[in-house]
Amino acid sequence: MTNVATGTGTAATGTQIVSEDDVVRVEDLRLSFYTTLGVVRALNGVSFNIPRGKVLGVVGESGCGKSQTGLSIMQLTPGRIEGGRILFREFNTSEVVDITKLEKNGPEMRKIRGNHISMIFQEPMTSLNPCYTVGYQIEEAILLHQTQDKAEARRRAVDILRKVGMPNPERIADSYPHQLSGGMRQRAMIAMALSCTPTLLIADEPTTALDVTTEAQILDLMRDLQNEIGTSIMFITHNMGVVAQMCDEVAVMYLGRIIERAAVDDIFYDPKHPYTISLLRSIPRLGVARGQKLESIKGTVPDPYSTVPGCPFHPRCPAAIPGLCDAVMPDETFVAGSRTHTVRCHLYT
Amino acid sequence: MDTAKKNGKSDEILLEVRGLKKHFPIQSGFLRRVTGYVKAVDGIDFYIKKGETLGLVGESGCGKSTTGRTILRLLDPTAGEVIFDDPNIGKVDLAKLNRSQLKRVRPNMQIIFQDPFSSLNPRLTVGQIVGEPLEIQKVASGQALRDRVAELLQEVGIRPENMTRYPHAFSGGQRQRIGIARALALNPKLIVCDEPVSALDVSIQAQVLNLLEDLQEKYDLTYLFVAHDLSVVEHISDRVAVMYVGYIVEMASTEDLYYHPKHPYTEALLAAIPKPDPRKRTRPIKLPGDVPSPANPPSGCYFHPRCRYAEDICKVERPPLRDIGGEHWVACHFAEKLQLQGVSRLNEIPLIELPKRQAPVPATTTATT
Repeated sequence: MTNVATGTGTAATGTQIVSEDDVVRVEDLRLSFYTTLGVVRALNGVSFNIPRGKVLGVVGESGCGKSQTGLSIMQLTPGRIEGGRILFREFNTSEVVDITKLEKNGPEMRKIRGNHISMIFQEPMTSLNPCYTVGYQIEEAILLHQTQDKAEARRRAVDILRKVGMPNPERIADSYPHQLSGGMRQRAMIAMALSCTPTLLIADEPTTALDVTTEAQILDLMRDLQNEIGTSIMFITHNMGVVAQMCDEVAVMYLGRIIERAAVDDIFYDPKHPYTISLLRSIPRLGVARGQKLESIKGTVPDPYSTVPGCPFHPRCPAAIPGLCDAVMPDETFVAGSRTHTVRCHLYT
Repeated sequence: MDTAKKNGKSDEILLEVRGLKKHFPIQSGFLRRVTGYVKAVDGIDFYIKKGETLGLVGESGCGKSTTGRTILRLLDPTAGEVIFDDPNIGKVDLAKLNRSQLKRVRPNMQIIFQDPFSSLNPRLTVGQIVGEPLEIQKVASGQALRDRVAELLQEVGIRPENMTRYPHAFSGGQRQRIGIARALALNPKLIVCDEPVSALDVSIQAQVLNLLEDLQEKYDLTYLFVAHDLSVVEHISDRVAVMYVGYIVEMASTEDLYYHPKHPYTEALLAAIPKPDPRKRTRPIKLPGDVPSPANPPSGCYFHPRCRYAEDICKVERPPLRDIGGEHWVACHFAEKLQLQGVSRLNEIPLIELPKRQAPVPATTTATT
């Protein structure tokens, strides 16, 4: 397969966008799962960077590798990282570590995980331990990373619960997860993730399981906290509405690759890749073209065990160029006249 | 107005629900004594006209799915009437029918479930799943059955050759299509769609929504569309009913409800929709607290503890659902006085044209890359 060759070319272009201000820079990340049914190449050369204090939205359909990208940064993925680098720089230091070089459960990684980089998961139900109180679970992180003093840890835990808008934080700290509603649990998760004021927060579909009103509250909260603490956020979602409301920059993923990357305004007002355009055309818009057919992308995401030659989107692409798109993987290139907008499509090379 | 967007719409009422209640007992202690009730649906009234789509929205736990299931008698109602205009028997009250009578009406009302993974029996082939209703109702057998199943699968966009395969071989979107084929098998009049697209990816969601609309036009179907995604409901519904803790608080044509809401809860729900436009960043209306538990609801209007317009009367008296003109039903004391904000139309953000297919590239260019 020509994956390797084309992917390396990408990394070179990808790193051009990097400035001194980045907290994390992922270069040509490759991740595979070795299963009994065959090898699944989950990430095929993913490169991006997240500037300090910015929100990067990562969007795509299920199975495109967006969650695995987040888990790789945390070194929590069950897959095997087969190449690439994840460079991370914490707040106020110039020291850069390559996370892929660290041992998964080694002391350095444990110092970073939950402290400098933390993560919020989709299911607040399953990501909190049902056997311990919410307060205990937050204190655990604080005791591990910040202070040895139990009373101090308790005080900080209650503080952070108050900050995420919990009514009566002392009582909530003594509650077990099952006593809280979905929205409250997600707030508790956010409190836990922010308890050590991380440099980077990875939010993996944090609002997908919630109702709209709760979702709006949680997004509002994340925006406020992000402004206050200055944390960078990697926001993984499939909801384009949430992306528009939350993110500064957007990376669109398809089958383990970033196929378009731009500022949020460009993604919505000047999208380039046919996949991004189709994705935007397929969401129902309030007040527009009601009663008319929605546009849909024909076909489905290919089976993960197979590899598609050329551009991975070509079998579903309305603009595929026969003889080119089905044979050659397009490189990531800058859109003419822009220094931030990149696209991986033969139409723009 | 585009409420009459689909042809074949009439003023004839297919289903009328009056005072429908569904209470679930809470049992506790050794003797499992009943200590209270979860009033999941607590006296709702609405009607669906022939050929229209009524959207039913609300937050989780508001009783919207329970309503759908109680109408079909998958759950037995605690009280109330469900009057269905059966094409063969005429108007019947579904709530009072016994098993054998229900079996005669069932072909005309079907359901599509939310989760395409748990709603198909993994031990049956797709052909058996879609053919089961036909066998139960003794509509067809043998070759006629196989032909009908093939026709149904074709109708929903699944190749009939796949009839002998099992559900695990299909993707989420394809499974949902199989669920739709099963619901269509007996030529129903009413289909309850219980969150049919919420488990699907956006691109697949659009395909399934389009399929539902095509089928509605072709077979003159009536949908009760239960969902929590307000953009999807706006797209597909002619009229929308909003539920809050077991009650309908507002019901109107889609146009009126989304752009001229009259209930403060509807206003808050609409304001919370994340708009896919980065130039319109909105702050949600703060709704203090959580949705109350249907086992222990507040006094008066159930929404009053969270309502920013609440006055003293709201704490004491529960407003009835009333028509304030033009088939706009609201349960709020101040429906006429409040000036509420609807959603803004997203017509400023351009719909980018898809690039067209290009000519094949000569072999020489390909070689250089």
